[in-house]
Amino acid sequence: MKRIILSLIALGVLFVYTSVFTVDEREQVVVLQLGKPVHTITEPGLNVKLPFPFQELRRFDDRLLEYDSPPEEVLSRDKKSLIIDNFVRWKIIEPLTFLKTVQAIPIALSRLDDIVYSQLRREIGTHDMAEIITENREIILEKVTEESKIATAQYGIEVVDVRIKRVDLPKENEKSIYARMDAERKRQANKFRSEGEEEAQKIRATTDKEKTIILAEAYKVAQATRGEGEAIALEIYAKSFSSDPDFYEFVRTLEAYERIIDDKTTLVLPAKSKLFELLMN
Amino acid sequence: MARRIIIGDQEVNIPDRLLKLGLVPLIGIGVLLWFLSGIYIVGPDEIGVVQTFGKYTRQAQSGLNYHFPFPIETVQTPKVTEVKRIEIGFRTVGQNQYRTISQESLMLTGDENIVDAEMIVQYKIKDPVAYSFNFVKPELTVREASEASLRTVVGRHNIDEALTSGKFMIQEETKELLQSILDKYDTGIIVVAVQLQDVSPPKEVIAAFKDVASAKEDKNRMVNQAQGYRNDIIPKARGEAQAQLREAEGFKEARISRAQGDVAKFNSMLKEYRKAKAVTKTRLYLETVENVLSKADKIVIPDSEDGNVLNLLNLNPKGGK
Repeated sequence: MKRIILSLIALGVLFVYTSVFTVDEREQVVVLQLGKPVHTITEPGLNVKLPFPFQELRRFDDRLLEYDSPPEEVLSRDKKSLIIDNFVRWKIIEPLTFLKTVQAIPIALSRLDDIVYSQLRREIGTHDMAEIITENREIILEKVTEESKIATAQYGIEVVDVRIKRVDLPKENEKSIYARMDAERKRQANKFRSEGEEEAQKIRATTDKEKTIILAEAYKVAQATRGEGEAIALEIYAKSFSSDPDFYEFVRTLEAYERIIDDKTTLVLPAKSKLFELLMN
Repeated sequence: MARRIIIGDQEVNIPDRLLKLGLVPLIGIGVLLWFLSGIYIVGPDEIGVVQTFGKYTRQAQSGLNYHFPFPIETVQTPKVTEVKRIEIGFRTVGQNQYRTISQESLMLTGDENIVDAEMIVQYKIKDPVAYSFNFVKPELTVREASEASLRTVVGRHNIDEALTSGKFMIQEETKELLQSILDKYDTGIIVVAVQLQDVSPPKEVIAAFKDVASAKEDKNRMVNQAQGYRNDIIPKARGEAQAQLREAEGFKEARISRAQGDVAKFNSMLKEYRKAKAVTKTRLYLETVENVLSKADKIVIPDSEDGNVLNLLNLNPKGGK
């Protein structure tokens, strides 16, 4: 009797254990009835199903999943080769479809890779490299995300976001960019130095010019001042001397003698002169 | 001999003595231990996120807490006050030692140049529920989103902005973009800070960039030197001009004064002369002749009709004095 009760309890526990199940916040569950999917549970909480072996469960992640695809070489419209390293954020939105079409995540990832890569390659092929690097990057990616979303819907997958982590250039293109950067900077350096010379020259030349002008102006004023002095002096002389021109001539001649004749002068005097008149006679 | 049984996630040893007491007390003890297994501690920097049958039901604050034991309820305790840090373009490998990762740090600017940029991102959990349930691989997610944001933003700017004035702007835009990506993924993460560490030209071209800086210096130096020349020459020229002017003014004054002096002398002589014209004239003449002849060598030619000077040349040579 006791044994029967015990085995009934054991059977009951097994029954409960295989028919009652929880669904976590992080997952969603597909219930399979004899291998055939019957319904999906996305709400977390306690649930019941038919006990094993009538119904079983497939659990799928309900979170935002990650896929980092390997860097790929892609051509832009202007035929420039770019190495693009992108990542994808995606979700299983229809676990039933997901189960039917791709079964498990590794297969899903390879599908995802194919789709996203081909969308990316197509989209990038319609833009020039400059656009891809600059402002259009976000627009391109939005488009790739949208297109991929449509293409992956058949697998029960939603592509939430496609983003370019890195855009690099193949080694040889990188070298040519460095060469260009180098040349550009050299040009700038030369420009600065020439500008310096130009400005310095300008300053020096202006300085020399101003110096010449200052001195010439000063000369002009100085000469005018001198002239004024001469004029005033002449006027003074004229006014005074004209009162007796004969006497002026006499006095000025005597003055001239004193200045002309010095101790180096040899004078030849005729004895007949008025000065020696008394001496000779 | 002790028997080991497992109840829930607890492992319990049951001594033989207890076994003899029968099943009921054993079950009682088991149930008690099971209930006790629901006691847990939430650290001061943590928050408890409790799930009941897998469904999120409540949060628990720091301290001693209780949840119904497994499998009814489970708890996670993410650290919500901790600020986590991600390094882009370099890794700290020891005290003040860094290793650059050029693969991460080299990026294209909007004008198709390449810069080397390093960045630190600090973030923390804002919403522990979203953080716990909405996405996988938090650190990787933040890292990838950070890299993508930085490159996107640097791609919007040209190299000169990235290297100089635009650094702050890039930092702010990156933070904004990164936050918007993390919000889009509903991660419950808040970006505390984005710090651009070092933005520099790649090492392949750094010499050329440095030369531009020194060329700028050269330019300033040349201009300064010229300015120095100017500062030397112009005041000197002004001084010289002033000297010329003063000299001319002096000349003018002197000229006038001398004229006045000469005139005064003449006038007084004229006054005397007018008193006795003949005598004064003779006196002045003789005084002058005396004065002049006393200084000079003299040769007196006796009365000869022709008065040929050449005949007298060697009579009183100048050198024989």
